Formats: sequence, C-alpha cells, structure tokens
Amino acid sequence: MDSSIDDTDTDADPEASAREVVVPLQLYKVVTVFSTMFAVGFVVGGFIVLDTATQRARLSIAEADVPLAILGVVMIAAGAVVYAFSTRFRAEGMGKPKDGSDEPSNNG
Amino acid sequence: MSLERKDEYDHGEWMKEKDLTPVESVFLTTLVWMDRRFRIVDYLEILETLYYRVNLQMPKSHTEQYNLDNKFWYWYPLYALGSFSTIAYVVAALSGALLGFYYAPGTEGDPSLAYNQLAFIMTDLNFGFMLRSIHRWSAQVMVAAVFLHMLRVYFTGAYKEPRELNWIIGIILISLTMVFGYTGYLLPWDQLAFWAGQIGVEMSLSIPLAGEWVAKLLFGGFSLGASTLQRMYIIHVFLLPFVVTTIIAVHIAIVWIQGIAEPH
Repeated sequence: MDSSIDDTDTDADPEASAREVVVPLQLYKVVTVFSTMFAVGFVVGGFIVLDTATQRARLSIAEADVPLAILGVVMIAAGAVVYAFSTRFRAEGMGKPKDGSDEPSNNG
Repeated sequence: MSLERKDEYDHGEWMKEKDLTPVESVFLTTLVWMDRRFRIVDYLEILETLYYRVNLQMPKSHTEQYNLDNKFWYWYPLYALGSFSTIAYVVAALSGALLGFYYAPGTEGDPSLAYNQLAFIMTDLNFGFMLRSIHRWSAQVMVAAVFLHMLRVYFTGAYKEPRELNWIIGIILISLTMVFGYTGYLLPWDQLAFWAGQIGVEMSLSIPLAGEWVAKLLFGGFSLGASTLQRMYIIHVFLLPFVVTTIIAVHIAIVWIQGIAEPH
C-alpha cells in the first residue's frame, strides 16, 4: 500500500519528478538489451497479429476477428510500456545531459 | 567481513538494499533471470571489444582520454547512420544488379519497352515485385540516412580539422546520391518519369551560358526521347556505380585512418 501512495504523490506532478533508479552498469546493460528486445518483439508481433485479424485492414469491421485485433493492439501497447518503463533505470553518472552536470550551462 | 569480494553481479543482494517498487523488482528480476539463461549482454560485450581491437584509434579518442562516455552516450545511436547509408547502398547495388537482368531502356512502342519490362517485373516475374520494392526502399532509405548522417556530422563538429577533406567528399557523395535517385526515377518511363525529365531539361536550360550544352550532354537534346532514357540508364547503371563506389571507399578509408570523431 505504501508504495502505491508514493506513486500517486509523484503522479500529481509528472513532469517535475519522473522516477529514476540508479543501477549498476552491468544491470543497466541487461535492462537495455532485454527490454529493447521485448519491446521490439511485442510491437512487431502485435502488428503481425493485428494484420492477421484484419487481413491487412482489408476486411470490414463486421468480418474482422475482434478479440485477435484487440490482442494485437494490446501487444503493441505492451511493447511501448516495457520500453517506457525501462527508461527509468540509469547507470551511475548517466543523468540527463543538462542535469547534475559539473559543466556550467553557459557554454563556458 | 567475508573474504569474498562483493560482486556487482550479485543482483539479489543489491536489490534488497535498494528501495524499489514491486513492479520494478519484478521487472528487474525477470530481466536478470533472462540474462542468466541467454547471455546476450556478454556476447555484445565481446563484439564491443572486437570493435575496439579492429578500430585502433590514433590518437586516443576524446571520450576515452577524458572518460566522458557517460556524458556522450546519447549521441551514439546517431553514429550508426554512416553504416546505415553504406548498407542501403550495398542492398541497392545487389537488387539493382538483379533488376538489370530484366530491364531494358527502350522507348519504342506504346507503352514503351521500358515500361513493359517494368510491368513484367512487377506482375509476372517471380519475386519481381519484392525485388523492385527492395531497390526502391533501399534508395529512399539511403537518401534519408545520408542526409541525417550529414546533420550528425555537422552537429557533433566532426567536420572540423583534420577532417575537412572528408566533409567535402561527403558533400560530393550526397550530391551524387541525389543524381543516382533522379536518374533511377526516370527509368520506368511512365508519366511521372517523363515529366520529371522535362523539369530536368528545363532546369539545365536555365543555367546561364552553359545551359544548352548541359541539356544536350545529360539529356541528349532539348526534348525527351530515346537518347534521354539511354543516357539516364548508362549514368544510373554504369557511370555512377563506379564513381560512387570509389568515393565511398575513399570516404570510409579516411574515417578508418583518422579515427571516428568524438563530439566536442
């Protein structure tokens, strides 16, 4: 319960506090490689499923396989969610370029 | 204190001391489980090591020297655009060579021989539709990738001393890429091609002093005809492939010799 309350707190102002989790570099590589693979697999697979359900969008709505089409859209969305979720993980020192930098922002 | 050194691969220990939401721990645990079974990251790291062994840089790259990797990582995907253009060029060359078995640049007949051959490739030839689509798409991708590659080189300052020569060679290459595209565009000899050719003739004629000479040289006259298509064909399949392949080889050789420019 505690964590869900925390989430609603941060959701109140999403732009200001996108959650960042600093992980070891090795784990960062694992996250990047596998979440990208999953995301690509889901999105491409989702489009294939959607194409199968609608015969490449040639069928009318009455003829289309609605559950399969919804599955396709859900897969595409799932791919996007996996990718978006993975972006909160960062290795040490890998902040956004403009934040937490030891360089001044006036181009020296 | 245990004698064993604390291992950064011990994700279980690490995750316990970290304040993660349930979704995050499930996400990380799943990916670590996958990584233990399919060690893709290890293989990618081997590839990375090979890359640095092959591309010995002299002098040491800016990011290596000052350990700035963490500041520049977000540029790195854009460093693939040059390879991407080269791959598109190779794909276009291979598919183009195959298309060359079936195409003929003839204007006789109505529709013309060239157009009939195109219709044959698209409708009757096995895998013809796919072959021409691959050729067309790789051409489109090459033009886009070359342009974005130029933007990357400009915005990372990679054109600066000592790489001015390669920047100029690159400008020549992007121009020749567009000539490649234009001459290929005319080869179907349909309405689109014919009127694009008409525009080309008129653009040539608008050049001061040399205009008529350029129109005759490139288009074989002031109005479009058999000699126009013949010239476009020869430029597309004979002249440009030799010239562009040679210049690409020089372009890449210079990158190899000078090392990849880091952003600065």
